[in-house]
Parts: sequence; C-alpha cells; structure tokens
Amino acid sequence: MSASLSESFTIPVGPLHVALEEPMYFRVDVEGETITGVDINAGHVHRGIEYLATKRSLAQNVVLTERICSLCSNSHPESFALAVETIGGLKVPERGAYLRVIAGELKRVASNLFNVAILAHLVGYEALFMHVMQVREDAQDLKEAVFGNRMNLGAICIGGTRYDLDGETTDIFVASLDRLEPKIREILSTYKTNGSIQRRTREVGVLRTDDAEACGVVGPVARASGLHHDIREAAPYHVYDRLPPEVLVLEEGDVWSRALIRLHEALDAIRILRAALKDLPDGPVNLGEIPEIPPGRAVSRSEAPRGELLYYLKTGETEEPERLKWRVPSFPNWDALTFMLNGAKVADIAIIVNSIDPCISCTER
Amino acid sequence: MTDLPSMIRSPNFVTDLRALATRDLAIDSATDAHGVTVLWCELANSEDLVPLATLFRNQKARLVMVTASQPPKPDEEEEDEEEDEETEGEEENETAPPAPALTFGGTSMDGTSYEIIYHFAVQGDIVNLIVHVPQSGSLPSLTPLFRTADWPEREIMELYGMVFSGHPNPRRLFLDKSIDPAVLERLIPFSTLANAASTQELWSKVTAAAKAGES
Repeated sequence: MSASLSESFTIPVGPLHVALEEPMYFRVDVEGETITGVDINAGHVHRGIEYLATKRSLAQNVVLTERICSLCSNSHPESFALAVETIGGLKVPERGAYLRVIAGELKRVASNLFNVAILAHLVGYEALFMHVMQVREDAQDLKEAVFGNRMNLGAICIGGTRYDLDGETTDIFVASLDRLEPKIREILSTYKTNGSIQRRTREVGVLRTDDAEACGVVGPVARASGLHHDIREAAPYHVYDRLPPEVLVLEEGDVWSRALIRLHEALDAIRILRAALKDLPDGPVNLGEIPEIPPGRAVSRSEAPRGELLYYLKTGETEEPERLKWRVPSFPNWDALTFMLNGAKVADIAIIVNSIDPCISCTER
Repeated sequence: MTDLPSMIRSPNFVTDLRALATRDLAIDSATDAHGVTVLWCELANSEDLVPLATLFRNQKARLVMVTASQPPKPDEEEEDEEEDEETEGEEENETAPPAPALTFGGTSMDGTSYEIIYHFAVQGDIVNLIVHVPQSGSLPSLTPLFRTADWPEREIMELYGMVFSGHPNPRRLFLDKSIDPAVLERLIPFSTLANAASTQELWSKVTAAAKAGES
C-alpha cells in the first residue's frame, strides 16, 4: 500500500466541486499527497458581456457593468464612469466624489469579510465562519439601509452618484461603523492567534515576491507577497489623494498573510469611511444632464476589493461604445495559483484557491 | 516598486521611444487633475512592438491588459455627402472612387483589420501601445517577455482571426476546441449562440396561432 502512495496521479478538481464557489477546472498532478503540477482550464461561465456592452448606450452600460461581478459590483460602474468622464472632460462635483469613495469602501468591508469567512469554513471552523458572516451581515444591513440593496448598490452614474446622504442616514452610518469596528478587530485578533487557523494557513500556498511580480498579481494577493501596490495610492482617483489608504504590505506570501491583509483593509476602509463622512462637502451629487460624449478613448483604474481594475473605453459617433474592455483583478491572480499550489498538499487546494479571492464570472465575462 | 520615478515623466522618454522605432510614432499624452499621466503611442510599423516592449520590460513596467478590436469603417455617409457637393461643383471628377481610409501606419480601415492595444502600467501612469494588423495577420507574441501576456493573447486568438506568432502555449483559453475560430467576426443566430432548442410541438402551436391571427 505504501508503495502505491508514492506513485503519481492526475486528479481533476472541478469544474463543479464542493469546495469551489464557482466553476473552474484544475487538472492537478500529484505525487502521493503532494502537488507537482497544475493546469487551469477556464471558460465555464463565459458570457460574452464585452460584445453585449457594444450594443448598449453609455448610460445603459452603467447598469450592465454593475452586473459583471457581484462582490466587486460597485467598482465596475465606478471605473467605467471614470473612463466616460475622461473622454467627455466632465468634472464630478466634490460631494459626488466623496460619495463614490463611501460606496466603494463599504463594499470593500463586506467583500473582504466574506472571503475571510469562507476561509474559516474551508478550515473546518464552522463557528468562526458563521460569526464572520454574521458580522458581514451588519455591513449588508447598512448597504440595504443606505442604498436599498445588499449587493448591487446602483450608486454610480456618469457624472457623480445616484444617491445622497441626509443627516439621519449619516448618523445610522456612523453608528453602524461604531458597532462593526470592534467586531472586526476581534476577528483580526482571532485570525492572528487561533491555532486551527494558523495550522492550516501559515506557510501554505506561498507566493514569492519575484513570482508575484512576474504574474502581475494585484490587490491583497500582491500586498501579502511584498509588493507595495495600491491604485488608490499609486494613481489616485475621486478624492483618495485627500483620504489616502494605509497600505499594509506583508512579506510571507502565504494564505494567512492574505487573510490578515483583507482584515486590515476592512478596518482601514472603516477609517476612510469615517473621514469621508466627516469631511463630506455640501453641493450637488452629480452633474445632472450629461452632454454628448465625443469620440475618443480613455483608460481608467480603480482599486476594487480584489485589486486593480482597469477599464478601456473607445467611443465613436454613436451612443454605444465602439469598444469596452476591462481587466478584472482576478484575471492575473489565477496564474499565481500555479506557483502557490506547486508543492502544496492536496487537502490545501481549496484553501489556497480561495485565498486569491477568485471571481470566475468576472474573469471570463 | 513605487520608489522608482515613473520613466514616462522623464523628458527623454519620447526621444528614447522614437530612437527604438524604425518608422514614425504618433504620441499623445494627458495628465489628469490627480497627476496621473496616460500616454497613447500608435506604431506605424508593427515590427517596432518588440523593441518598445523590451524597453518597458527593462524598466519594470507591468503589462496590464491587451485589447483587440476591429474598428469600423470611417463613416461613409459623410464621405458621400462631400462627394455630392464636389460633383455638383465640378463634374470632371465624377468617377474617382474614394480611396480606402488608412490608419496612421497605412493599414486599411476596411472594418476587418484589427487594432491591438497593449496597456502597460508604469508606476502610477499608463502607457498604451497601439498596433494595427490586417485581417488574418499576425503579431509577435509578448508572452516570452511578459508572463501576463499569456492569457490575453490566447483570448484574442480564440475570438479573432489573428495569430500571436511564437506564443509558447497557443491553446484555447475560455472557448472549447469544438467552437469555430474567430467567433467575434461572424454573425451567429441567437438561438445557435444560446444553444436554445425547442420542440416541434411549440412551433406547430406558434404557426397555428399565427395563421389564426391572419384569418
């Protein structure tokens, strides 16, 4: 029996697998319990949205792009609107720019908590999983209270935002953040000290800095592997030059570091939210009627919860874009899995795959 | 990574680019209110792509995305109007057919040629290299230079009828092998695209209802 364990096998993981939230197919070569090679086969949720986008007007594409991804839903219309505003030479009013920051950072809190919760689930620590999901529920309730929706906020329009905050909502917002922050601090300290979490995540799925750079990884995956890279800091947009993030960079590059970065960024998002709510200037939230957008091209970038999101827009004489293309943060991060999984144990596959916070529907569009 | 000054802010940057190119470059750049610069560089000769990309690689730039598209023919209606005006004035010029519009590099803008854009991140700034390729043409693959070119190039090869020569692993990325190549260049009936099937019974009801409506 022991002789057969040392033989090499090829095993399929996915496309439908209990431990994967979305369909992706990995062909994994194993030697005993150790992974020796990985082949990623994508395309199970390819929907052709880029083609569809060229059949919709610019205003309709604000709605369409919000539906590319559920967890980063706000970042898509946000980056798309930035590209349209660059071509049209439109300047978003101050209040609108602050409100965009507020919508984006609240999405970041909920998105990061979701990924960290799934990690606890995959580790087998169900009580912690349910607790983190319960804390995330506070963020979901807050989104529902402010925007009327739990996932797709519908906050962005070309020229500003579609929502506004009055005094009462701001008070609810701040009170909710006051409840959330200590709970997230407690979760952070659990992830830092709990034995079960540490045994399954430390030195697991390591991505070295030079490999991270070669793969062009972005977001928490890059920052957990020693790359100091955050679009809010490197190429500020909205009012992030006035509300800069505190960028945490860790060197270990393991699953644990990626979880700690996400929890740190959830807390940092709350700090930014508080500052933005305090500094929120008066004035209009958007430009009202949008003038005709001339032919032209633009690229725009934003820092989605999963990392850098880049949009390219080319407009022509018609209302529909001639070409709309985007590169989601998960897209380069998949490639890094081949490094993270190499030499790992079969039992850790799901934990490592989850640690890049993969979004398949937005990778394949 | 952020300690390096952005190379595109250097006053010599455009000169360096032109020195590497065998033919002309159309360069345009804009800096926004936050100080983020976006530079567009259109190559007259697609063979200049590799030397320019090598420069970016040596400067630790990151290839973020590759966009492919087939730009439509320039508006014909307007041209026709202009012609009408001309023929009204001087009738000798009647049969000169309008020459096909050309891109900056001389590729025909016939609605079938490809525009490939390489988006590079250089610290906080973006450099876009624009290259035109005629239909069923090819470009050298940048995957040997940039690991991040692998997936985008494979995606473009499965959607369009062009090839990145020298790609180390030119397999399909998202689409299955059984799907015909260059899907974005063909009109496909929606029912085929969505793999929608319906029973004979449904169609007999639909035709019966249509006939009842006519009579």
